[in-house]
Amino acid sequence: MNALEIRGLRLRLPGTARPVLDGVDLTVAAGETVALVGESGSGKTLTSRSALRLLPTGATTEGRVLVDGQDVLTMDAAHLRTLRTRKAAMIFQDPRAATNPLRRIGDFLTESVTLTKVMTRAAATERATELLDAVGLPATVLDRYPGQLSGGQLQRVMIAAALMGDPTLLLADEPTTALDVTSQAEVVALLDRLRERFGTGLLFVTHDLGLAAAISDRVCVMYVGRIAETGPADTLFAHPRHPYTAALLAAPPRLDAPAGRLAAIDGQPPDLRQELTGCAFAARCRLATDLCRTRAPEPVAAPADPGHLAACHHSELLEGSAAHA
Amino acid sequence: MPDRPTGSAEPGNVLAVTGLSRAFGAVRAVDDVSFTLSAGGSLGIVGESGSGKTTTARIVVGLEQADTGEVTVRGRPRHGRARGRAERLARAREIQMVFQDPYLSLDPRITVEAALRETLRLHFPHLDHARRIAELLDQVGLGTRAADALPRHLSGGQRQRVAIARALAVEPAVMVLDEAVAALDVSVQAQVLNLLADIRADTGIGYLFITHDLGVVRSVTDEVVVMRHGRIVEAGPTAEVLAAPDHPYTRLLLESVPRPGWDPDRIAAARRALAAG
Amino acid sequence: MSATALTRRPGFGRLAAARAPLHLISLAVVALVVAAALLAPWLAPYDPNQVDLGAALAGPSADHLLGVDAAGRDTLARLLLGARTSLLGPLGVVAFSTLAGIAVGVVAGWRGGWLDSALSRSTELVFAFPGMLLAVLIVAVSGEGLLAPVIALAVAYLPYVSRLTRSLVLAERERPYVAAHRVQGHSALQICLRHVVPNIAPVVLAQSAVNFGYALMDLAGLSFLGLGVPALTPDWGRMVFDGQTAIQHGYPLSAILPCLAIVLTVVAFNVVGERWADQVARRDPR
Repeated sequence: MNALEIRGLRLRLPGTARPVLDGVDLTVAAGETVALVGESGSGKTLTSRSALRLLPTGATTEGRVLVDGQDVLTMDAAHLRTLRTRKAAMIFQDPRAATNPLRRIGDFLTESVTLTKVMTRAAATERATELLDAVGLPATVLDRYPGQLSGGQLQRVMIAAALMGDPTLLLADEPTTALDVTSQAEVVALLDRLRERFGTGLLFVTHDLGLAAAISDRVCVMYVGRIAETGPADTLFAHPRHPYTAALLAAPPRLDAPAGRLAAIDGQPPDLRQELTGCAFAARCRLATDLCRTRAPEPVAAPADPGHLAACHHSELLEGSAAHA
Repeated sequence: MPDRPTGSAEPGNVLAVTGLSRAFGAVRAVDDVSFTLSAGGSLGIVGESGSGKTTTARIVVGLEQADTGEVTVRGRPRHGRARGRAERLARAREIQMVFQDPYLSLDPRITVEAALRETLRLHFPHLDHARRIAELLDQVGLGTRAADALPRHLSGGQRQRVAIARALAVEPAVMVLDEAVAALDVSVQAQVLNLLADIRADTGIGYLFITHDLGVVRSVTDEVVVMRHGRIVEAGPTAEVLAAPDHPYTRLLLESVPRPGWDPDRIAAARRALAAG
Repeated sequence: MSATALTRRPGFGRLAAARAPLHLISLAVVALVVAAALLAPWLAPYDPNQVDLGAALAGPSADHLLGVDAAGRDTLARLLLGARTSLLGPLGVVAFSTLAGIAVGVVAGWRGGWLDSALSRSTELVFAFPGMLLAVLIVAVSGEGLLAPVIALAVAYLPYVSRLTRSLVLAERERPYVAAHRVQGHSALQICLRHVVPNIAPVVLAQSAVNFGYALMDLAGLSFLGLGVPALTPDWGRMVFDGQTAIQHGYPLSAILPCLAIVLTVVAFNVVGERWADQVARRDPR
């Protein structure tokens, strides 16, 4: 059974002209790492939060979000609580904002499982110690306050906290963005080890394609509420089939590229007050034709690889072109 | 190996910083930092949080005071706080700054045009402001339509362009860019970096680029200074430093940049080894 | 002392949760009272001091819509013209305390250091001394007249504004746009006047709207005690005082009506001020 399965998720917010999420399909198998890549406003955070039904007020949804086989969008409050404490857990971008500075790390780690009576206090403390060890922190951290830890250490505490309920799905929303480059490696290495050891499915939300490539089995690229392209990490990066992916790969300043002009993507994403006809990327796309402006493309599998889908009318034009072209 | 400039007023250097130090309590945030920026050049200061790069930048622009050391712009040393209007304006025309967060560095109540007009009125009271504003907006790639907009009606990239236009309005000799593209989306980041490269080519303004992103350093700087714990650990031409880093910390920074085939475990081990050593 | 919340008196807390209809009603009350005060000379059916002893203590009738007080004066006319004094006083209090409070708060917050300590300590001194007592003292010394109690209360209300302003300035000063303007070469005074004060003004003005209600109540209290407003000037607080004897005679109308006017106006200003503050906070989350 898949740790997370999202089918045709459509999410509307009051005061917007179009759905913020427009038919998102996404699967995370048990023990798999999937990277969800997108820019701000792409809907990547909303998508990951929908797995815990952490939706903005006034949101209406269509479609299904299954965590461990159960539909999150329709379940009752009691099941939802069990889901949030035991089946799926989330690691946030800013660990400082997600902890209470006046409570000890030990209380923070154990409170959710002891409050929901999943574990006794003694068992919870034992598990917390074990997990702190797994994330590379000594047991003395239990008596510390968040202010006494560095950002990297605190993010490891957050990971330990997320694993307390032994979840089948771990949602990591830009977990390394607030950290330094060198601590980023540490957190990523840790997440990877833990995923292997506990068999957790990991959905890694990030804006950094390079990071996504480095850590994930599969990558989903989101643009303006839709999945533009999804596929195995290495083929997607070597042979992108969506112009947006190709442009994202070419845009950032890279260490191995010669100095000089960057391949910037002109324009900016359409804003939410604007209704969309056709492909969301058409206005910024070099390959766009009248077809793109009138009809939204459906995801189509690559001829050679049924797991590599791109929602583009002209993906064959990109076929064979390498990312660094 | 810190590059020691021989004379702060050396010709060809638009900015020279010598022996800068600043302590906050027991923490030496900036510790004996020296570097020079040649006229029209671009110097990157790279480091992680706590490296002292931001404090260095704030001392250079005059938002903080150094305990010891000297900042010299176009051969004119700056001592202490600016006294009087003339000195204040002169300093503003020496160095301008673009901040990290374009959402916070503009007054939320003031339209783009009014913000630029305020700066022009202060520095060039006799100029034709309307024409200059149109010129500036054009220079940063914003249409005149943006002139009437309030900051909250602009996207992050547009706001950063406004902040750049506002800095350019003063016609400074040096522009300090403090993580100026860090808060922007990947696609917008490239646009702004290209814009900055164009502006430097057109105007000859020197850049002091404060960043944690080695890719950014690679694409927009000629020389680079690597800072760690308030000290300079390595300095030199960007291409050389990135191709053959001398200091283990520079090597660690380079290896930490994620790419396919990246080995986070090894980086984590290297980081711990460096912290212990 | 860095709370940026509005200062409100105990008992008014529940009004903070004001829902839309209450807010609309309050706005209407405020508008009505202000209109009445502005148009009073044209609206008033009689001269407020015209005495018709024959009709003394008469109930509402076609001639006297809201009845007549013990001295034979028309209550409606006194209420309408009383609105002028009753609003003018608090307006003076609020205008002075807002201007002076912003000045003190900005200087304390921006400059910091010894100046901040000195200003903060002196405002605390005023805090510690009951405003009403101060007003009573000043009026006792200076005799009748509206000016003395207004100044006394303005001094008493100044700390509420200055303390709020100071904490807002402390937060605002750290914002990058302030640093950006300093780098641009603007002087501290320019930055404060053109950027900082306009950005914090909505919150401060919301506090002043709340203060308006309190000041009205305090001034009414003073004139009820017979302090401040000269005997013949129509004023709500004074009307309550004058109506006391009528109540004892079983004719409460001439005392109850001004009471009602005071309470309604105070509550209305409170609700409007609170709502305004909430809106500012929502629009501009810090």
